[in-house]
Amino acid sequence: MSASDQRSAMLLLSPMMAVLLAVAVFPVLYSLWTSLFDIKLTRMNNVSFVGLGNYVTTFLDPMFWAAVGRTAWFTVSAVLAIMVIATLMALLLNQEFRGRRILSTALLIPWAIPYVVDGLMWKWIYDSGYGALNGLLLQLGLIKHYLVWLGDTHKTLALICSAFVWKEVPLATILLLVTLKSVSPDLYAAARVDGANVWGRLLHVTLPAMRPGFMLVMIYEAMMAVRHFDLFFILTEGGPADASHVLSWHIYVETFRNLSFGTGAAIAYLLALATFGMSYAIIRLLGKRL
Amino acid sequence: MSEGTNFGSGRRRFLHLSAGAGLAATGVFGGLTRANAADAVTLYTWSAGVDTVKRQLAEFQKQGGFAVKYNNLPFAQYREAMVTKFVGQAPIDVLWVSDGWLPEWADAGWVAPIDGYPQLLKYNADVQDFCNQSMHYKGRQYGLTYYTDYMAFLYDADKLSKAGIAAPPASWEELVDQSIKIKKTGLSEYPLMLSMARESWLIEFMSSLVFSNGGRFVDDNGKVVMDDPKQGAVSSLQWVADAVNKHHILSPACVELGELNGFKSVASGNHAFALLPRYRIQALNDPRQSHVAGKIKQSLMPAGPNGSHATVAWMRMHAMSAAAGANPARAANATRLIEAFGGKFDGEYAFQKAMFLESGTAFGVKPLFNDADVRGAYEKYGDFSMFQKQESLARKKDVISRWFGEWDEVNGTAWQSAILGQSTATDALKRSAEKWKSLAKQA
Repeated sequence: MSASDQRSAMLLLSPMMAVLLAVAVFPVLYSLWTSLFDIKLTRMNNVSFVGLGNYVTTFLDPMFWAAVGRTAWFTVSAVLAIMVIATLMALLLNQEFRGRRILSTALLIPWAIPYVVDGLMWKWIYDSGYGALNGLLLQLGLIKHYLVWLGDTHKTLALICSAFVWKEVPLATILLLVTLKSVSPDLYAAARVDGANVWGRLLHVTLPAMRPGFMLVMIYEAMMAVRHFDLFFILTEGGPADASHVLSWHIYVETFRNLSFGTGAAIAYLLALATFGMSYAIIRLLGKRL
Repeated sequence: MSEGTNFGSGRRRFLHLSAGAGLAATGVFGGLTRANAADAVTLYTWSAGVDTVKRQLAEFQKQGGFAVKYNNLPFAQYREAMVTKFVGQAPIDVLWVSDGWLPEWADAGWVAPIDGYPQLLKYNADVQDFCNQSMHYKGRQYGLTYYTDYMAFLYDADKLSKAGIAAPPASWEELVDQSIKIKKTGLSEYPLMLSMARESWLIEFMSSLVFSNGGRFVDDNGKVVMDDPKQGAVSSLQWVADAVNKHHILSPACVELGELNGFKSVASGNHAFALLPRYRIQALNDPRQSHVAGKIKQSLMPAGPNGSHATVAWMRMHAMSAAAGANPARAANATRLIEAFGGKFDGEYAFQKAMFLESGTAFGVKPLFNDADVRGAYEKYGDFSMFQKQESLARKKDVISRWFGEWDEVNGTAWQSAILGQSTATDALKRSAEKWKSLAKQA
């Protein structure tokens, strides 16, 4: 490419680079800058530089560590459940059977529903007074009277996790299905020649071939789960007690309820770093085996 | 750690503006396009009585008023949304303010005192005492009330009658006995409805319990007494925990039941007793909205062992933004608008009366108690003398402070833990008290 072509290319790319700088790079750097100040919106005439003070305060806060524990539980449970269900769904949809197209289309419905609508729908389902879940279990004779779901601290996180999994499984299924479609039929033919049965072909051909898809889904879903906020906001607002007080909710409370933008930014930055670290670990773990 | 004063004003200014800008872009852009001219008056309210507000605005404009840009936001997000708008210097002239936010907003310099406007102060003589107190902060008046109400004790007369109960409970102890009796007859699984969800209503529900138990969260000198077992707060929370775990008259789901869903649950006929904002009695006795229409009555708040029939009241008002207050022309228009809503319009308290007739929400001015239309409308669904009697026993929240919003965040977690049996009531109130002390110290 000539120097003139390079200049033209840069010129043409510069508007998009400017947009990226404004909407991606600037907010990241700005949130880091903000996290170094004691910024309280109710006293903006008294903003002080605290260096890493907000980070120290955060690390000394037991609520933060409790939120980290809940976030970790939620993320691991959600990703595991999504991986298992999406893999089974993808294997099913990879087969030729009557109604496959209808099932594939229906599968997309949860994915197409916005999270707010998803949250409201699950709130109705889980409602202890008139919820569909209680109604169903009662009609099936599995319970004798309506149970408390979201109001029970032992069930809350698992229930929110289920709602999250329901919404995320379709996309994970599609990603895994695309990977499955790319597996060469020759591999299956060779496995058959070698005497591999269905299980053998699944274990030695299909699952190893799906590894790039697994990695992609695992990274994406882990990132989604660790930062997830919408369902916590709509279903429980961190409660009951502090049973669903996860990191994203902690950031929201600190920033928008307590109006402490400095501390909120510090926690958000820690969450961003944790997300980056987690993605890197997954790539290192699974990527080197590709 | 450096103090803000050691930093360059440019950097501080940058932080000041960009903190709001980062999360309140709409506010900033609004601010940039703000015309300084006094002819563009912007009104912000939460989404209550929207049609009534629009009608009042139309009347106001018809009778020589000016154009008003009317905006409304959901109540649940109002505080956060308005704070970002203030910081982002969004155009606001007149706004609705809840008594709970006044100290925070006044100290931050976002709302302007109105005590320099005699045309507004003349209405104070008509305003109820606790509303007058709630409109003041540090000796200055910041608004004109348009609405006040209180937490009421409601009961289903039909269920009581079927259970052979002659009169509603006069004490919390009696309420437990009656609830157990109703539960045994199978009329209701959980006879009591009390909303203990994490929302802004939680403090109102708890305050009514505490006040009726003769207790306080904070005394008149600002000293924290909520963790003192003799001061009513601990015993009130323990009573709720016992109602759930010991007597089983209150559903454990009360921690997920917000005020609105609580109202719906009562309207469905699930309960015999309920604590609800008083204005809910109108909808509960409306056959279009309730399965128990005509059966819901109000009685005085049950009293605790050392208490009275006191309850908690709240007040909302029209206030003027500091930006409008600093500009004489804008302030003049804002004053006219506040008067049209909070004061007399067409010779009467038109907006307060309309809100009462249309939504059942109570008013902050005494003359409306003598209004035949008001009394006549209320008697169709409630007992007007009981309405007045309970209001005379209503008190302003004692936790209103600059740090109220931040303190209230802790309560949801702490109190729900006690209700669910994960901590004691004493520990829960100790946690609330410690947070209060820490915030008071920072302030």
